[in-house]
Amino acid sequence: MVVILVIVLGLVFDFTNGFHDTANAMATSVATGALKPRVAVLISAVLNLVGAFLSTEVASTVSGGIVKEGSAGVQITPAMIFAGLVGAIIWNLATWYVGLPSSSTHALFGGLIGAAIVGSGFQAVDWFNVISKIALPALFAPIVAGIVALVATYAAYTITRRATSQGAEAGFRHGQTVSASLVSLAHGTNDAQKTMGVITLTLVAAGYQKSGTTPHIWVIIACALAIAAGTYSGGWRIMRTVGRRITDVAPPQGFAAEASSAATILVSSHLGFPLSTTQVTSGAIVGSGLGKRLASVRWGTFGRMALAWLVTVPAAALVAAVATFIVKTGTVGLIITAIAAIGGMVAFYLLSRRHPVTHETVNEDEDVLASKPVAAQGGAK
Amino acid sequence: MSGIDWGALGTEFVLSLVFAGGAVAIYALGLRLLAVGAPPELRLETAAVRTEHVADGEIETPHRRPAVASFAAYLCFAIDIAVVLYGLYMIIPQFH
Repeated sequence: MVVILVIVLGLVFDFTNGFHDTANAMATSVATGALKPRVAVLISAVLNLVGAFLSTEVASTVSGGIVKEGSAGVQITPAMIFAGLVGAIIWNLATWYVGLPSSSTHALFGGLIGAAIVGSGFQAVDWFNVISKIALPALFAPIVAGIVALVATYAAYTITRRATSQGAEAGFRHGQTVSASLVSLAHGTNDAQKTMGVITLTLVAAGYQKSGTTPHIWVIIACALAIAAGTYSGGWRIMRTVGRRITDVAPPQGFAAEASSAATILVSSHLGFPLSTTQVTSGAIVGSGLGKRLASVRWGTFGRMALAWLVTVPAAALVAAVATFIVKTGTVGLIITAIAAIGGMVAFYLLSRRHPVTHETVNEDEDVLASKPVAAQGGAK
Repeated sequence: MSGIDWGALGTEFVLSLVFAGGAVAIYALGLRLLAVGAPPELRLETAAVRTEHVADGEIETPHRRPAVASFAAYLCFAIDIAVVLYGLYMIIPQFH
Protein backbone atom coordinates (compact mmCIF):
# COMPACT_ATOMS: atom_id res chain seq x y z
CA MET A 1 0.00 0.00 0.00
CA VAL A 2 2.66 2.50 1.03
CA VAL A 3 4.86 1.37 -1.83
CA ILE A 4 2.10 1.99 -4.38
CA LEU A 5 1.43 5.41 -2.87
CA VAL A 6 5.14 6.27 -3.03
CA ILE A 7 5.30 5.25 -6.69
CA VAL A 8 2.23 7.31 -7.57
CA LEU A 9 3.41 10.33 -5.57
CA GLY A 10 6.92 9.90 -6.96
CA LEU A 11 5.51 10.24 -10.47
CA VAL A 12 3.36 13.20 -9.43
CA PHE A 13 6.48 14.83 -7.99
CA ASP A 14 8.31 14.09 -11.24
CA PHE A 15 5.47 15.79 -13.13
CA THR A 16 5.61 18.90 -10.92
CA ASN A 17 9.38 18.86 -11.30
CA GLY A 18 8.87 18.96 -15.06
CA PHE A 19 6.51 21.89 -15.22
CA HIS A 20 8.35 23.74 -12.51
CA ASP A 21 11.58 23.60 -14.47
CA THR A 22 10.38 24.21 -18.02
CA ALA A 23 10.99 27.86 -17.29
CA ASN A 24 14.66 27.25 -16.54
CA ALA A 25 15.48 26.30 -20.07
CA MET A 26 12.76 27.93 -22.08
CA ALA A 27 11.55 31.12 -20.36
CA THR A 28 14.04 33.41 -22.07
CA SER A 29 13.57 31.68 -25.42
CA VAL A 30 9.84 32.33 -25.19
CA ALA A 31 10.39 35.88 -23.97
CA THR A 32 12.71 36.83 -26.84
CA GLY A 33 10.53 35.10 -29.41
CA ALA A 34 13.33 32.68 -30.32
CA LEU A 35 10.76 29.92 -29.97
CA LYS A 36 6.99 30.02 -29.95
CA PRO A 37 5.66 28.97 -26.54
CA ARG A 38 4.19 25.65 -27.69
CA VAL A 39 7.29 24.77 -29.71
CA ALA A 40 9.54 25.63 -26.78
CA VAL A 41 7.77 23.30 -24.35
CA LEU A 42 7.62 20.55 -26.97
CA ILE A 43 11.38 20.71 -27.58
CA SER A 44 12.02 20.84 -23.85
CA ALA A 45 9.69 17.88 -23.20
CA VAL A 46 11.30 15.72 -25.89
CA LEU A 47 14.79 16.52 -24.62
CA ASN A 48 13.76 15.76 -21.04
CA LEU A 49 12.35 12.44 -22.24
CA VAL A 50 15.56 11.62 -24.09
CA GLY A 51 17.65 12.78 -21.15
CA ALA A 52 15.72 10.56 -18.76
CA PHE A 53 16.57 7.49 -20.83
CA LEU A 54 20.21 8.47 -21.19
CA SER A 55 20.92 8.57 -17.51
CA THR A 56 19.46 5.80 -15.38
CA GLU A 57 22.23 5.27 -12.89
CA VAL A 58 20.54 5.70 -9.54
CA ALA A 59 22.21 7.15 -6.47
CA SER A 60 22.79 4.79 -3.57
CA THR A 61 20.94 6.98 -1.09
CA VAL A 62 17.64 8.81 -1.37
CA SER A 63 18.82 12.02 0.27
CA GLY A 64 22.41 12.11 -0.93
CA GLY A 65 23.81 12.36 2.57
CA ILE A 66 21.37 14.97 3.92
CA VAL A 67 19.71 12.41 6.15
CA LYS A 68 22.04 9.98 7.93
CA GLU A 69 21.02 6.81 6.18
CA GLY A 70 22.28 3.29 6.63
CA SER A 71 23.45 1.22 9.55
CA ALA A 72 24.92 4.10 11.55
CA GLY A 73 21.93 6.38 11.11
CA VAL A 74 18.23 5.99 10.51
CA GLN A 75 16.47 3.62 8.18
CA ILE A 76 14.46 5.65 5.69
CA THR A 77 11.14 3.86 5.46
CA PRO A 78 8.69 4.03 2.55
CA ALA A 79 6.34 5.91 4.91
CA MET A 80 8.96 8.62 5.41
CA ILE A 81 9.58 8.86 1.68
CA PHE A 82 5.83 9.15 1.21
CA ALA A 83 5.62 12.03 3.68
CA GLY A 84 8.68 13.67 2.13
CA LEU A 85 7.11 13.52 -1.32
CA VAL A 86 3.88 15.05 0.00
CA GLY A 87 5.88 17.96 1.40
CA ALA A 88 7.84 18.41 -1.82
CA ILE A 89 4.77 18.28 -4.08
CA ILE A 90 2.72 20.70 -1.97
CA TRP A 91 5.60 23.18 -1.87
CA ASN A 92 6.19 22.83 -5.62
CA LEU A 93 2.52 23.56 -6.29
CA ALA A 94 2.50 26.50 -3.88
CA THR A 95 5.49 28.15 -5.55
CA TRP A 96 4.05 27.39 -8.97
CA TYR A 97 0.78 29.05 -7.98
CA VAL A 98 2.57 32.28 -7.06
CA GLY A 99 4.80 31.90 -10.12
CA LEU A 100 8.12 31.57 -8.36
CA PRO A 101 10.85 29.25 -9.60
CA SER A 102 12.23 27.13 -6.79
CA SER A 103 14.42 24.07 -6.73
CA SER A 104 12.48 20.80 -6.89
CA THR A 105 15.52 19.01 -5.53
CA HIS A 106 15.59 21.23 -2.48
CA ALA A 107 11.86 20.65 -1.98
CA LEU A 108 12.47 16.90 -2.02
CA PHE A 109 15.39 17.21 0.40
CA GLY A 110 13.31 19.47 2.63
CA GLY A 111 10.48 16.95 2.65
CA LEU A 112 12.87 14.14 3.60
CA ILE A 113 14.43 16.27 6.35
CA GLY A 114 11.00 17.00 7.84
CA ALA A 115 10.03 13.35 7.69
CA ALA A 116 13.34 12.26 9.23
CA ILE A 117 13.09 14.75 12.11
CA VAL A 118 9.60 13.64 13.11
CA GLY A 119 10.45 10.01 12.44
CA SER A 120 13.78 9.84 14.27
CA GLY A 121 14.64 13.19 15.81
CA PHE A 122 17.01 16.03 14.95
CA GLN A 123 20.10 13.85 15.09
CA ALA A 124 18.86 11.97 12.02
CA VAL A 125 19.77 14.92 9.83
CA ASP A 126 23.36 15.65 8.86
CA TRP A 127 23.22 19.41 9.41
CA PHE A 128 26.73 19.92 8.12
CA ASN A 129 25.66 18.43 4.79
CA VAL A 130 22.54 20.60 4.81
CA ILE A 131 24.84 23.63 4.90
CA SER A 132 27.44 22.35 2.46
CA LYS A 133 25.11 20.66 -0.03
CA ILE A 134 22.03 22.88 0.07
CA ALA A 135 22.58 26.27 1.68
CA LEU A 136 25.97 27.27 0.29
CA PRO A 137 25.39 26.00 -3.26
CA ALA A 138 22.11 27.93 -3.21
CA LEU A 139 24.11 31.03 -2.41
CA PHE A 140 26.85 30.40 -4.97
CA ALA A 141 24.77 29.16 -7.91
CA PRO A 142 23.10 32.47 -8.75
CA ILE A 143 26.28 34.45 -8.02
CA VAL A 144 28.52 32.31 -10.24
CA ALA A 145 25.97 32.08 -13.06
CA GLY A 146 25.14 35.76 -12.68
CA ILE A 147 28.72 36.95 -13.05
CA VAL A 148 29.34 34.60 -15.97
CA ALA A 149 26.18 35.82 -17.72
CA LEU A 150 27.08 39.44 -17.00
CA VAL A 151 30.46 39.04 -18.69
CA ALA A 152 28.98 37.06 -21.60
CA THR A 153 26.21 39.62 -22.16
CA TYR A 154 28.68 42.49 -22.03
CA ALA A 155 30.89 40.69 -24.55
CA ALA A 156 27.96 39.99 -26.87
CA TYR A 157 26.85 43.63 -26.88
CA THR A 158 30.36 45.03 -27.20
CA ILE A 159 31.32 42.81 -30.11
CA THR A 160 28.11 43.34 -32.10
CA ARG A 161 27.84 46.99 -31.11
CA ARG A 162 27.67 48.22 -34.68
CA ALA A 163 25.64 45.34 -36.02
CA THR A 164 22.35 45.53 -34.22
CA SER A 165 20.01 44.89 -37.14
CA GLN A 166 17.64 42.01 -37.61
CA GLY A 167 20.25 39.55 -38.78
CA ALA A 168 22.22 39.70 -35.56
CA GLU A 169 19.05 39.34 -33.52
CA ALA A 170 18.07 36.26 -35.51
CA GLY A 171 21.56 34.89 -35.09
CA PHE A 172 21.37 35.28 -31.34
CA ARG A 173 17.95 33.64 -31.31
CA HIS A 174 19.34 30.56 -33.08
CA GLY A 175 22.21 30.43 -30.64
CA GLN A 176 19.77 30.73 -27.78
CA THR A 177 17.65 27.85 -29.05
CA VAL A 178 20.69 25.59 -29.10
CA SER A 179 21.96 26.58 -25.66
CA ALA A 180 18.47 26.32 -24.13
CA SER A 181 18.16 22.83 -25.61
CA LEU A 182 21.40 21.83 -23.89
CA VAL A 183 19.95 23.03 -20.58
CA SER A 184 16.81 20.94 -21.19
CA LEU A 185 18.77 17.80 -21.99
CA ALA A 186 20.99 18.24 -18.95
CA HIS A 187 17.86 18.71 -16.86
CA GLY A 188 16.37 15.46 -18.14
CA THR A 189 19.50 13.49 -17.31
CA ASN A 190 19.57 14.91 -13.78
CA ASP A 191 16.04 15.29 -12.54
CA ALA A 192 14.17 12.27 -13.92
CA GLN A 193 16.93 10.20 -12.37
CA LYS A 194 16.09 11.52 -8.91
CA THR A 195 12.54 10.16 -9.03
CA MET A 196 13.83 6.88 -10.46
CA GLY A 197 16.13 6.74 -7.45
CA VAL A 198 13.33 7.40 -4.98
CA ILE A 199 11.07 4.74 -6.50
CA THR A 200 13.85 2.18 -6.90
CA LEU A 201 15.14 2.66 -3.35
CA THR A 202 11.56 2.31 -2.08
CA LEU A 203 11.20 -0.96 -3.97
CA VAL A 204 14.49 -2.11 -2.48
CA ALA A 205 13.44 -1.07 1.03
CA ALA A 206 10.17 -2.96 0.63
CA GLY A 207 11.99 -6.06 -0.56
CA TYR A 208 10.66 -6.04 -4.12
CA GLN A 209 14.02 -5.41 -5.68
CA LYS A 210 17.59 -6.39 -4.91
CA SER A 211 19.85 -3.70 -3.51
CA GLY A 212 22.32 -2.26 -5.99
CA THR A 213 20.36 -3.20 -9.12
CA THR A 214 19.39 -0.74 -11.83
CA PRO A 215 15.82 0.60 -12.05
CA HIS A 216 13.17 -1.58 -13.64
CA ILE A 217 12.37 -0.63 -17.19
CA TRP A 218 8.80 0.37 -16.28
CA VAL A 219 10.18 2.75 -13.64
CA ILE A 220 12.45 4.38 -16.22
CA ILE A 221 9.64 4.71 -18.76
CA ALA A 222 7.13 6.02 -16.22
CA CYS A 223 9.57 8.59 -14.82
CA ALA A 224 10.66 9.73 -18.27
CA LEU A 225 7.04 10.15 -19.39
CA ALA A 226 6.04 11.93 -16.18
CA ILE A 227 8.78 14.55 -16.39
CA ALA A 228 8.22 15.02 -20.13
CA ALA A 229 4.45 15.42 -19.65
CA GLY A 230 5.08 17.89 -16.85
CA THR A 231 7.49 19.84 -19.02
CA TYR A 232 5.06 19.89 -21.93
CA SER A 233 2.21 21.11 -19.74
CA GLY A 234 4.42 24.16 -19.36
CA GLY A 235 4.69 25.99 -16.08
CA TRP A 236 3.48 29.17 -17.73
CA ARG A 237 3.10 30.98 -14.42
CA ILE A 238 6.75 30.49 -13.62
CA MET A 239 7.82 31.10 -17.17
CA ARG A 240 6.17 34.50 -17.14
CA THR A 241 8.09 35.43 -14.00
CA VAL A 242 11.45 34.20 -15.23
CA GLY A 243 11.14 35.41 -18.82
CA ARG A 244 9.33 38.68 -18.30
CA ARG A 245 9.47 39.93 -14.76
CA ILE A 246 13.15 39.79 -13.85
CA THR A 247 14.40 41.83 -16.76
CA ASP A 248 13.36 42.60 -20.34
CA VAL A 249 15.28 39.93 -22.18
CA ALA A 250 16.59 40.84 -25.65
CA PRO A 251 18.04 38.11 -27.94
CA PRO A 252 21.74 38.78 -27.13
CA GLN A 253 20.91 38.63 -23.41
CA GLY A 254 18.83 35.48 -23.79
CA PHE A 255 21.64 33.78 -25.67
CA ALA A 256 24.25 34.87 -23.13
CA ALA A 257 22.05 33.80 -20.22
CA GLU A 258 21.30 30.34 -21.65
CA ALA A 259 24.91 29.76 -22.68
CA SER A 260 26.03 30.73 -19.18
CA SER A 261 23.42 28.45 -17.60
CA ALA A 262 24.42 25.54 -19.80
CA ALA A 263 28.13 26.02 -19.08
CA THR A 264 27.64 26.47 -15.34
CA ILE A 265 25.38 23.41 -15.03
CA LEU A 266 27.60 21.17 -17.14
CA VAL A 267 30.82 22.19 -15.41
CA SER A 268 29.28 21.87 -11.95
CA SER A 269 27.86 18.40 -12.51
CA HIS A 270 31.17 17.36 -14.05
CA LEU A 271 33.09 18.54 -10.99
CA GLY A 272 30.69 16.89 -8.58
CA PHE A 273 29.65 20.26 -7.21
CA PRO A 274 25.99 20.10 -8.12
CA LEU A 275 24.19 23.41 -8.39
CA SER A 276 20.44 23.87 -8.64
CA THR A 277 19.37 24.39 -12.26
CA THR A 278 16.69 26.78 -11.08
CA GLN A 279 19.09 28.98 -9.19
CA VAL A 280 21.68 28.91 -11.95
CA THR A 281 19.26 30.01 -14.66
CA SER A 282 17.65 32.68 -12.49
CA GLY A 283 21.06 34.07 -11.58
CA ALA A 284 22.11 34.02 -15.22
CA ILE A 285 19.06 36.04 -16.25
CA VAL A 286 19.79 38.65 -13.58
CA GLY A 287 23.40 38.74 -14.78
CA SER A 288 22.32 39.25 -18.36
CA GLY A 289 20.19 42.17 -17.22
CA LEU A 290 23.11 43.73 -15.38
CA GLY A 291 25.43 43.15 -18.33
CA LYS A 292 23.27 45.27 -20.55
CA ARG A 293 22.11 48.06 -18.32
CA LEU A 294 22.19 48.18 -14.55
CA ALA A 295 18.76 49.65 -14.02
CA SER A 296 16.81 47.07 -15.96
CA VAL A 297 16.77 44.32 -13.32
CA ARG A 298 13.65 44.21 -11.19
CA TRP A 299 15.16 43.42 -7.84
CA GLY A 300 11.75 43.05 -6.22
CA THR A 301 11.02 39.96 -8.30
CA PHE A 302 14.48 38.57 -7.65
CA GLY A 303 14.09 39.26 -3.95
CA ARG A 304 10.86 37.25 -3.85
CA MET A 305 12.59 34.40 -5.66
CA ALA A 306 15.53 34.45 -3.27
CA LEU A 307 13.08 34.38 -0.37
CA ALA A 308 11.35 31.37 -1.91
CA TRP A 309 14.70 29.57 -2.18
CA LEU A 310 15.41 30.37 1.45
CA VAL A 311 12.04 29.04 2.56
CA THR A 312 11.90 25.98 0.26
CA VAL A 313 13.65 23.51 2.55
CA PRO A 314 11.94 24.52 5.82
CA ALA A 315 8.52 24.82 4.18
CA ALA A 316 8.65 21.41 2.51
CA ALA A 317 10.07 20.02 5.75
CA LEU A 318 7.17 21.44 7.73
CA VAL A 319 4.54 19.91 5.44
CA ALA A 320 6.39 16.58 5.48
CA ALA A 321 6.72 16.73 9.26
CA VAL A 322 2.99 17.13 9.67
CA ALA A 323 2.42 14.34 7.15
CA THR A 324 4.83 12.04 8.99
CA PHE A 325 3.12 12.83 12.27
CA ILE A 326 -0.23 11.66 10.88
CA VAL A 327 1.20 8.70 8.95
CA LYS A 328 2.83 7.40 12.12
CA THR A 329 -0.58 6.74 13.64
CA GLY A 330 -1.12 3.86 11.24
CA THR A 331 -2.96 2.91 8.07
CA VAL A 332 -5.83 5.31 8.77
CA GLY A 333 -3.31 8.11 9.14
CA LEU A 334 -1.73 7.13 5.84
CA ILE A 335 -5.08 7.27 4.07
CA ILE A 336 -5.94 10.60 5.70
CA THR A 337 -2.59 12.05 4.57
CA ALA A 338 -3.04 10.75 1.03
CA ILE A 339 -6.53 12.28 0.80
CA ALA A 340 -5.31 15.56 2.30
CA ALA A 341 -2.43 15.66 -0.20
CA ILE A 342 -4.78 15.09 -3.13
CA GLY A 343 -7.09 17.75 -1.71
CA GLY A 344 -4.18 20.17 -1.54
CA MET A 345 -3.20 19.49 -5.13
CA VAL A 346 -6.76 19.96 -6.37
CA ALA A 347 -7.06 23.15 -4.33
CA PHE A 348 -3.98 24.69 -5.95
CA TYR A 349 -5.21 23.64 -9.37
CA LEU A 350 -8.62 25.22 -8.80
CA LEU A 351 -7.03 28.38 -7.39
CA SER A 352 -4.87 28.66 -10.49
CA ARG A 353 -7.95 28.45 -12.74
CA ARG A 354 -9.24 31.69 -11.28
CA HIS A 355 -6.59 33.65 -13.13
CA PRO A 356 -4.86 31.22 -15.44
CA VAL A 357 -1.62 31.86 -17.28
CA THR A 358 -1.43 29.98 -20.56
CA HIS A 359 0.87 29.77 -23.55
CA GLU A 360 -1.16 32.61 -25.00
CA THR A 361 -0.65 34.98 -22.11
CA VAL A 362 2.80 33.90 -20.98
CA ASN A 363 4.46 36.96 -22.47
CA GLU A 364 1.99 39.50 -21.19
CA ASP A 365 3.35 42.03 -18.81
CA GLU A 366 1.82 45.42 -18.21
CA ASP A 367 5.12 47.28 -17.94
CA VAL A 368 6.63 45.63 -20.97
CA LEU A 369 3.59 45.94 -23.22
CA ALA A 370 3.64 49.67 -22.77
CA SER A 371 7.19 50.08 -24.02
CA LYS A 372 7.64 47.55 -26.78
CA PRO A 373 5.66 45.04 -28.86
CA VAL A 374 5.71 41.48 -27.66
CA ALA A 375 7.05 39.37 -30.46
CA ALA A 376 5.84 35.93 -29.48
CA GLN A 377 2.53 36.82 -27.92
CA GLY A 378 -0.24 34.57 -29.14
CA GLY A 379 2.12 33.16 -31.71
CA ALA A 380 1.11 29.56 -31.19
CA LYS A 381 -2.65 29.58 -31.02
CA MET B 1 33.32 25.32 6.53
CA SER B 2 36.32 23.14 5.87
CA GLY B 3 34.06 20.56 4.21
CA ILE B 4 33.30 22.85 1.31
CA ASP B 5 35.50 22.22 -1.66
CA TRP B 6 36.54 25.79 -2.37
CA GLY B 7 38.94 24.65 -5.04
CA ALA B 8 36.10 22.99 -6.97
CA LEU B 9 34.04 26.14 -6.64
CA GLY B 10 36.89 28.23 -8.02
CA THR B 11 37.44 25.82 -10.90
CA GLU B 12 33.70 25.84 -11.52
CA PHE B 13 33.66 29.61 -11.78
CA VAL B 14 36.69 29.87 -14.05
CA LEU B 15 35.62 27.06 -16.39
CA SER B 16 32.05 28.36 -16.65
CA LEU B 17 33.39 31.81 -17.42
CA VAL B 18 35.78 30.52 -20.06
CA PHE B 19 33.22 28.27 -21.78
CA ALA B 20 30.21 30.59 -21.63
CA GLY B 21 32.09 33.83 -22.14
CA GLY B 22 34.22 32.28 -24.87
CA ALA B 23 31.35 30.67 -26.73
CA VAL B 24 29.21 33.82 -26.61
CA ALA B 25 32.09 36.08 -27.63
CA ILE B 26 33.05 33.81 -30.53
CA TYR B 27 29.45 33.53 -31.70
CA ALA B 28 29.03 37.30 -31.52
CA LEU B 29 32.29 37.72 -33.42
CA GLY B 30 30.96 35.38 -36.09
CA LEU B 31 27.78 37.46 -36.45
CA ARG B 32 29.84 40.62 -36.55
CA LEU B 33 32.11 39.23 -39.26
CA LEU B 34 29.10 38.33 -41.38
CA ALA B 35 28.21 42.01 -41.33
CA VAL B 36 31.59 43.10 -42.68
CA GLY B 37 31.36 44.74 -46.04
CA ALA B 38 27.58 44.95 -46.14
CA PRO B 39 26.21 48.44 -46.79
CA PRO B 40 24.87 49.99 -43.59
CA GLU B 41 21.20 49.59 -44.44
CA LEU B 42 21.71 45.96 -45.41
CA ARG B 43 24.08 45.19 -42.62
CA LEU B 44 23.46 41.68 -41.42
CA GLU B 45 20.16 41.27 -43.19
CA THR B 46 19.39 37.74 -44.16
CA ALA B 47 19.52 36.44 -47.71
CA ALA B 48 15.74 36.27 -47.80
CA VAL B 49 15.43 39.96 -47.00
CA ARG B 50 18.07 40.80 -49.57
CA THR B 51 16.09 38.96 -52.23
CA GLU B 52 13.07 41.07 -51.40
CA HIS B 53 15.07 44.16 -52.22
CA VAL B 54 15.88 42.65 -55.60
CA ALA B 55 12.24 41.87 -56.20
CA ASP B 56 11.43 45.47 -55.44
CA GLY B 57 13.43 46.39 -58.50
CA GLU B 58 16.62 47.39 -56.78
CA ILE B 59 19.86 46.32 -58.26
CA GLU B 60 21.38 43.75 -56.00
CA THR B 61 24.41 45.18 -54.31
CA PRO B 62 27.47 43.13 -55.02
CA HIS B 63 28.48 41.05 -52.07
CA ARG B 64 31.35 42.99 -50.64
CA ARG B 65 32.20 40.82 -47.70
CA PRO B 66 35.84 39.81 -48.12
CA ALA B 67 36.45 36.09 -48.36
CA VAL B 68 38.66 36.23 -45.32
CA ALA B 69 35.79 37.66 -43.25
CA SER B 70 33.45 34.90 -44.42
CA PHE B 71 36.06 32.30 -43.63
CA ALA B 72 36.68 33.73 -40.16
CA ALA B 73 32.93 33.90 -39.50
CA TYR B 74 32.44 30.26 -40.44
CA LEU B 75 35.46 29.36 -38.33
CA CYS B 76 33.78 31.07 -35.35
CA PHE B 77 30.57 29.10 -35.89
CA ALA B 78 32.56 25.89 -36.32
CA ILE B 79 34.28 26.47 -32.98
CA ASP B 80 30.90 27.01 -31.32
CA ILE B 81 29.51 23.84 -32.87
CA ALA B 82 32.50 22.03 -31.42
CA VAL B 83 31.75 23.54 -28.00
CA VAL B 84 28.12 22.38 -28.23
CA LEU B 85 29.24 18.88 -29.22
CA TYR B 86 31.59 18.86 -26.25
CA GLY B 87 28.65 19.91 -24.08
CA LEU B 88 26.63 16.98 -25.43
CA TYR B 89 29.59 14.72 -24.69
CA MET B 90 29.58 15.96 -21.11
CA ILE B 91 25.81 15.50 -20.72
CA ILE B 92 25.48 12.01 -22.14
CA PRO B 93 26.88 9.47 -19.66
CA GLN B 94 27.22 6.72 -22.27
CA PHE B 95 30.19 8.57 -23.75
CA HIS B 96 32.22 8.36 -20.59
